[in-house]
Amino acid sequence: MADGRTDPAADIARERLRAAMARLADGDSAALEEIYQATRVKLFGVCLRILGDRKEAEDALQDVYINLWQKADRYDPERASPISWLATFARNRAIDRLRTGKVRGGAVPVEEALPLPDSSPLADVLMVDVEQNAQIHACIQGLDERTQNHIRSAFFDGFTYAELAERADVPLGTMKSWIRRGLQKLRACLEASEAA
Amino acid sequence: MSTEDTPFDDRERDDAMKAAEHALGLLEGEELLASRGKAASDPEYAARKAWWNNWFAPWTDEVAPAEPSDAVWARIEAQINGSQPNLAANDDGDIASNVVDLASRLRRWQWTAGITSAAAALMLAVMVFSPGGEPRSVVPSTNGTVLAAANPLIAQVPIGDTGLRLDVTYIPESERLLVGAIGLIADGVHDHELWLVPADGSALQSLGVVVPGEVLSQELAQEITANMGDGVGLVLTREPIGGKPEGVDAGPVVAEGAFNQV
Repeated sequence: MADGRTDPAADIARERLRAAMARLADGDSAALEEIYQATRVKLFGVCLRILGDRKEAEDALQDVYINLWQKADRYDPERASPISWLATFARNRAIDRLRTGKVRGGAVPVEEALPLPDSSPLADVLMVDVEQNAQIHACIQGLDERTQNHIRSAFFDGFTYAELAERADVPLGTMKSWIRRGLQKLRACLEASEAA
Repeated sequence: MSTEDTPFDDRERDDAMKAAEHALGLLEGEELLASRGKAASDPEYAARKAWWNNWFAPWTDEVAPAEPSDAVWARIEAQINGSQPNLAANDDGDIASNVVDLASRLRRWQWTAGITSAAAALMLAVMVFSPGGEPRSVVPSTNGTVLAAANPLIAQVPIGDTGLRLDVTYIPESERLLVGAIGLIADGVHDHELWLVPADGSALQSLGVVVPGEVLSQELAQEITANMGDGVGLVLTREPIGGKPEGVDAGPVVAEGAFNQV
């Protein structure tokens, strides 16, 4: 396992989250509040980053937890850590919202966020996976800088090909070529790391 | 570096790459729709998309955390206390969730005029001549009089670019749904199943298999009528003959529409 994660408090918190997800899947609604308290600042951060608007991000966050409550059994603990899955889920819901065309987030300066309370969960608890993080980093850095930036921008700002092309002032086909070539390399690198 | 600028050969754009594009959120329009449908019906593709999601997820660690206002939890709590979890629908829940996700992404069709008045008269006439009972086929009639039914909901669901469409009418007074598939022809290999997309994001509800060339009239269960309303979405999925088998994912979404009040 990664050496970067030795905090026993973080391990306990992760285990709690995993257990709460399992209880929720079994129909225990009370588990939802525990999950909310443990993960809201991370998931709200993700929604806010994509949507760039507090109100929209709060609506998206509400939508995330309601959906989680309705379909908690969609989470498969064999396939992803709870926080990894939840963060992906939140990001996807926020992107859904972007694509409905009501808001144009991303790249918009994020409005002032409320200060984090003293009791906010430790950042480490909310980290997805140190080892995995190092690997995706190493692989993305194998791409040329321009491609790195566009792929990261798609992830963090929720831009489509067309939006990326417009912002970079290049033809759509050019942007697609850059990113697809990058994704091809990224996949080869990630698969090689799995095989190793 | 010239190699960086050579156009990418689209033949190399395999499923793994499409799944990556989807996971990143790059896709839109038709391509997004196709990918959604594939993720809902092809486990290998869904697994590849999950693989990418899993790799990209650590990037969320770089996003600054932020505190939502207290109102958010209050709203969530009110919502879950106001209704029961959708456990009863779990059979369909997993499958439907994919389709729900898709439906939520599709922009709502803006029907200005809605159904033509002649078609409305036809549909209402059909309703008049088909009282009660199980979903069944009825003979369309053109000589009926339009009843003063209370604000029926009407949706048109265009089928691809065929120029054909489903006409779906809901009559609140009688809680009956009419699904007209006149002009459609069965291909003998597939059936098409119509789903209601509840506005609250809960699981899709099946409105049954569409019968090409006929108008079906059926009385709806209360848990379905409770979700009926202006703007509520409909999606049509392609399924094996007989409709979506239990325990498998719904097929690809081939058409969609939304109810409008007339």
